[in-house]
Amino acid sequence: MAKGKFPFGDGKRAGNPGKHAGRPADVTDPAAAGEPPDEPTHHGPPAEPSDWPISVSFTGPPATPDDVRRWATIIVDEPIMEFEPKPPSSRFYLADTIFDGWSTEHFTIRLASVRGYSHRYRGVPRQDDAQVVFHPESGTVLFAVADGVSGASESHVGATVACSRTVETMQSQLISDHAIDLAHTVQVTAQQLTAEAADLLGQDQPTLATVEDLLATTLVAGYIQPGPEGATVAIVQIGDSGAWILRGNRYYPLLGRKNDPDAQVISSAVSPLPRIPEHLTPTEFRLPPDAVLLIGTDGFGDPLGDGEGKIGQLFAEHLRTPPPARGLAHLLDFSRDTFDDDRALIVIWQKAEAPEVPP
Amino acid sequence: MPDPKGNLLPVYVLADESYSLFDHAQELNHGLVSLCDALRAEPMIAAKVRLSILGFSDDVEVRLALADLRDVENLPSLRIRNNTNYQAVFKDLLTRIPHDVDMLKTSDYLVHRPAVFFLSDGQPNDDSDWLEPRERLIDKTITPAAPNIVAFGIGDVMAETILQVATDEKFAFVAMPDTNIGNAIAKFFVALTHSIVQSGRSLTSPNPELVVEKPEGFRMAIDIV
Repeated sequence: MAKGKFPFGDGKRAGNPGKHAGRPADVTDPAAAGEPPDEPTHHGPPAEPSDWPISVSFTGPPATPDDVRRWATIIVDEPIMEFEPKPPSSRFYLADTIFDGWSTEHFTIRLASVRGYSHRYRGVPRQDDAQVVFHPESGTVLFAVADGVSGASESHVGATVACSRTVETMQSQLISDHAIDLAHTVQVTAQQLTAEAADLLGQDQPTLATVEDLLATTLVAGYIQPGPEGATVAIVQIGDSGAWILRGNRYYPLLGRKNDPDAQVISSAVSPLPRIPEHLTPTEFRLPPDAVLLIGTDGFGDPLGDGEGKIGQLFAEHLRTPPPARGLAHLLDFSRDTFDDDRALIVIWQKAEAPEVPP
Repeated sequence: MPDPKGNLLPVYVLADESYSLFDHAQELNHGLVSLCDALRAEPMIAAKVRLSILGFSDDVEVRLALADLRDVENLPSLRIRNNTNYQAVFKDLLTRIPHDVDMLKTSDYLVHRPAVFFLSDGQPNDDSDWLEPRERLIDKTITPAAPNIVAFGIGDVMAETILQVATDEKFAFVAMPDTNIGNAIAKFFVALTHSIVQSGRSLTSPNPELVVEKPEGFRMAIDIV
């Protein structure tokens, strides 16, 4: 059968489990019984930062049922139905969930990328990826977040290649004592995607459209550097992944917004890699000391919205101080009806006691 | 939007209920059941689709309105009656779609451009009176939530007419002349189901797309005109 695909934006180109079939209400958790509460709810006690770490030790007291319940899925409003994920069908191994976390003299980093509920349900690999590396000589932290385009047949490879090539290129520039050139870095990443496509397809010079059909991915990448007047950040965006500053309970978007809240219908005009916009200008700014930097895919950005809802509240509450890395993965794996996309998120805090950086 | 509840795709199935389909009511209703069953078997897609089923004849009658199929217990059925009036279809959609989109946005959903799947077996009885409301419906300056219209013709309907209904020549399909109408209806519903499921899957992609599958035994109308 023939098939055509057309962006929603312009229309030119381009047994029943049911929603209430989720987990039964946890009778030991009053918040999980009866009507959905207004606030974000957890199965088990709320995961306050002070709850970490949970003590599970062979020499200490045994884990209590409450300890175990803390790892239950965080539910916001109506949950997505409960099911056991299918293994991802891919030639390449991609874990369902990855997380990372460490601190430098100046920054604390947490990273998580989780497979979306829809991909778990269908046995599709996680198509988001994220990478973060440290350049010790300059104290710079380099980061990249990518969201493989579902329509591309190996988009999970595209996202991983985009992240790894991007941070490698930035790192090479620093090692060579050069300033990071984000526009050039993106070009190198696009070339790497083409080379990867050539390798996968056994073709010498695949066309841009061929690379796009195979490996298309969004990318948000950049770096944060300590400086005498505070940390400076530079970020570049291709596609609809995003970045935000979180101060207190408010989120400030740093990059182009995916959805215009005043528009009647969603626009779907996005050009992911390997296509590069004609004018690619990095966003540069100084990060206020009390601000947290977030870089994430739309699997996080869509449910976040402008940050004033329940998801914004949930993350603002739990990112006030750095959770354990596994804690960010747990948080990011929240369940809310209709939000079933892959999610990737990097969070960066400035350390309050960071040593002064000479001018 | 302070607390987005999700991104939804409103889908409207416009099914011809004129007398010429009297002998095929069973196939039509069978198709509807299979469509609903298939979507309910994909609960994460059903969560992101709001399905309306509208039967048209002299006027439009609502068989299912903006439904989350996970909540629907009694499946709708079509009722064969009277003539084929396209004007009634487009006049109805001109008010229905903006109203529905507004309602979903008020409920804190983000809304993708609606998709209309139009199935007819005969030439309209209202000559060309329908062209003007159809133009207003698809003009984004008049109707910001103007839908993409995918049109399918079976039986006596002319390829030119189906091309005029669809918003893109790639969205216009007609059954092969020798195709049994009952089979054509069945194939239409199979393709419709695949199109909705795959469009629903793409909603979380950076590039959401309306995926349109050509039914088996159908041709692009543009290839015939």
